Amino acid sequence: MPDITKPILEVKNLRTSFFTDDGEVKAVRDVSFDLYEGETLGIVGESGCGKSVTVMSILGLVQRLGKITGGQVLFRGKDLTKIPADELRHVRGRDIAMIFQDPLSSLNPVLSVGYQIDEAMYAHDVIKHDDIRARGVDLLEEVRVPDASRRIKDYPHQFSGGMRQRAMIAMGLSNKPKVLIADEPTTALDVTVQAQILELLRDLNQNTGTSIILITHNLGVVAGLCQRVIVMYAGEIVEEGTAEQIFENPQHPYTWSLLRSMPRVDTSRRERLKSIEGLPPDLIAPPPGCKFNPRCPFRIEQCFSDDPTLETVGDDDRHIAKCWVRMKRAYAEMGAATLTDTRPGAASGVRPPKTLVEKLEDSREIEPDTEAVGDLRGS
Amino acid sequence: MATVVTAQIAEEDATQGGVLVREQVGLWRDGLRRLRRNKLALAGAFYLIFIVLVALVAFAWTPYKPSAQNVCPVEFAYADGISAAHPFGCDPLGRDILSQMMQGAQISLIVGVGTSLIVCVVGISVGLLAGFSRGVLDAVISTVINAFYGVPYLLLSLVLYLVLGPGLLTIMIAISATSWMDMARLVRGQALSIREREFVEAARASGTRQGRILFTHIFPNALGPIIVQATFIIPVAILTEAFLSFLGVGIRPPLFSWGAIASGSNTGGTPLNLLQSAPWIVLFPSAALSVTLLAFNFFGDGLRDAFDPRQKR
Amino acid sequence: MLTRGTLIYIGQRLLLIAFTVLAVSFAVFAALHSLPGNPFVNEKLHGAELAAQMHLYGLDLPIPIQYWNWLKGAIHGDFGVSLAILNEPISPIVFREFSVSLMLGGAALLITLGLGTVLGVIAAARQNTWVDYTLTTFAVIGYSVPSFVLASVFILVFGVWLFNVTHGAFYYPLNWTGTYGTIEELSIPAIALGLYTSGQVTRITRAAMLDVIQQDYIRTARAKGLRQRIVILRHAFRNALIPVVSIAGPLIITIIVGSVVIENLFGIPGLGKEFVESILRHDYNIAIAVFTLYAALIGVANLLVDIAYAAIDPRIRY
Repeated sequence: MPDITKPILEVKNLRTSFFTDDGEVKAVRDVSFDLYEGETLGIVGESGCGKSVTVMSILGLVQRLGKITGGQVLFRGKDLTKIPADELRHVRGRDIAMIFQDPLSSLNPVLSVGYQIDEAMYAHDVIKHDDIRARGVDLLEEVRVPDASRRIKDYPHQFSGGMRQRAMIAMGLSNKPKVLIADEPTTALDVTVQAQILELLRDLNQNTGTSIILITHNLGVVAGLCQRVIVMYAGEIVEEGTAEQIFENPQHPYTWSLLRSMPRVDTSRRERLKSIEGLPPDLIAPPPGCKFNPRCPFRIEQCFSDDPTLETVGDDDRHIAKCWVRMKRAYAEMGAATLTDTRPGAASGVRPPKTLVEKLEDSREIEPDTEAVGDLRGS
Repeated sequence: MATVVTAQIAEEDATQGGVLVREQVGLWRDGLRRLRRNKLALAGAFYLIFIVLVALVAFAWTPYKPSAQNVCPVEFAYADGISAAHPFGCDPLGRDILSQMMQGAQISLIVGVGTSLIVCVVGISVGLLAGFSRGVLDAVISTVINAFYGVPYLLLSLVLYLVLGPGLLTIMIAISATSWMDMARLVRGQALSIREREFVEAARASGTRQGRILFTHIFPNALGPIIVQATFIIPVAILTEAFLSFLGVGIRPPLFSWGAIASGSNTGGTPLNLLQSAPWIVLFPSAALSVTLLAFNFFGDGLRDAFDPRQKR
Repeated sequence: MLTRGTLIYIGQRLLLIAFTVLAVSFAVFAALHSLPGNPFVNEKLHGAELAAQMHLYGLDLPIPIQYWNWLKGAIHGDFGVSLAILNEPISPIVFREFSVSLMLGGAALLITLGLGTVLGVIAAARQNTWVDYTLTTFAVIGYSVPSFVLASVFILVFGVWLFNVTHGAFYYPLNWTGTYGTIEELSIPAIALGLYTSGQVTRITRAAMLDVIQQDYIRTARAKGLRQRIVILRHAFRNALIPVVSIAGPLIITIIVGSVVIENLFGIPGLGKEFVESILRHDYNIAIAVFTLYAALIGVANLLVDIAYAAIDPRIRY
């Protein structure tokens, strides 16, 4: 179990912008969160909501037009946004490793898989150089690549998608990092392979105690792996809580929409695209007030003028949401239970999950429903 | 209590969504704006306009007749090249270099544009033939195209030019013979891809004849890339003509081209003689040629940067 | 890594080269023999004497038969005798000149690739700085200024103005013997030839580097904590070389074409000079031999380029 007293990584008021010809795109706006030792944290949101940029900023990997404009990333008491480049280089891959979405484009096509894994170890002095070759094979075996000693000489194009992602994970693990950041690790993969990769990550977390940050737009993936969840919209955190809180008692209308449109591991890939319709806001000139207001079916006047702040929901201070309306009120005052939103911005429906509606009708406190969670996890 | 804004106000929401997407500047306006900001491309464009004007003027007037000998004293040519009467000097036969170079601008543009036109005719015909016939004919044409790519183009042009005999038209034909392949390949590719598109399908399904489909559907759609390719041919042709003339086998008196003036072949000399005795005769036409090619490249790059969205910074 | 498939592929390519060379040589043979005039024009031969001379060299036969006779010799490396210079056998001359041109072209190719890739990488690494702007502008100037113009300027500077320093190292004896030239003698022509194409290589390398740097695997390499130098050289540059190699074929042709002009300008006794001179004096046999050699050289060079391609990019297998 994660030790929630010791944050290993603290992100404080992080801001990252891209300076384009058309203006400053504020991709990450004042994002703060902690990652605890041994924890699995999910960051969820649509494409372009800033979740990838957030984690890229942590490792200083934002390139070219992008720039961190404020905030801190504290790792072992050091601010990663301030330390010299060479010191940051040693954090990358050694303390905090990262794996990426498309394992084909993320592996260098002209270098062999084994070379790319070994190289990660040679770059840091964690593994004795004499042991590196042998460890490469061990790592591939660990991530369940069959016939590892032979396949380590292959090139990425000779690997299947799932195998490539395994190789990526092996590369990430090679220096025994404290934190593994996985940016959409399963998106490009088939459903069955997705499940295998997630299982691998879960085992990894349990066996080695490596903290994992999982970035995804797919709540089903989060349900299967993460203990805590952050929901991002338009560069901001809109809701944060434990997996149970997010799935059982979502407070932000955006979170409901995500849940309604959530694909399950047993549905086909095409259905996953049935996400929230409407457009994410322009990050150069976002709407005033709450940035979700153009797409929100429960907006009130205040939503157009005042930007809500993250506030604690209920008794547990781990559950916070950024909304003026929130669930209970939407249900009680606005008829959320019967409303089927027909606007393009919310065509997939804005009602909270069915089990939740029933519970609200009973006006009882919401208790974790293990069956519902299990259902969501697709197990 | 706050006013509840509910789903009934659907229309308003839609418009609001529209406003949120920032107005996209039109591709053309955007491109022109970027082109105007590119100083080198603009300079290139102005220089090309200047060269065109010089070429046009040369049809009506040159300071002297380019081939008129002894318009300045022969010994004067070697003694001191530049004077008010002959700002670019004279050649050893006493002919005025400035007049020759004005004609050289003409020759360069005629050869460039003429070759481009011939290449268009040949390349488009061959490309359409290959793209439309597919099958064996297509394979044969593709093989021929590839064979042509494997030949040292200048030497082939040279042999052809000698076989065809001297003249402006023959030099254009000789250069076209080694530069039509890109155009043919482009048109073939366009034809292959466009013929699969829906509107061509639709035209065919509604019984339109092949030829009509070709000219009403395929040709207009392939026009953009063809024009770009045709403009690329112009500097290549100018350069090839200069090469041939510099070798002494291109344009001959009474016509003068930049390459021919620089080679000294007009006077039976060699560039080495000229460089020792009267280097300006080599340098002025060389500079005119280089700057023209440079202008084409700067302008072409500017166009591409301005209108290719992938390059957007 | 030579598999059976690769060998078969190389064999096929060699056959194709042979076929192309055959077609090209025949085309040039036919074209040159249809040129007006004859090789004996300097000897002022007329009527029966001319006919007898033409008959002696087999020039009165139909072109396909002449070609066949020529081909029989050419296959054994015998390109016949010169028609203009005292019955001299061509092959030794041409092969000696070939070595000269190969040296010049090879040096130019090295300059082109070396300079071009290095400058391209530097420009990309400093994208949108004055270094980048300067280098890209120079690259455009480089490939806009024809090689003979650059060479003329070099001759003017080093051969005329700085004559006392160079002692006229660029004037080559007409009756040269044995191996050719020294490094100094070759350097200026090779630079004039190589600079022109290096501009293109610079541009392509720069564009390829900028494209590659944005690829996901570069992000991966950086995320692994590799040094910036290693990311650029080992991960980015190797991938950026792929488009550079893909233009190497046309590049080699451009260098060959440029060498014809450069050799004529500097008076370097190579194939290019020989080709122009022999054509102008109707010495068909030499011109055809030179052209055939060029075609074969280009074919082989393209094959080597394709092999280099496969060596750099493991995804390509023949």
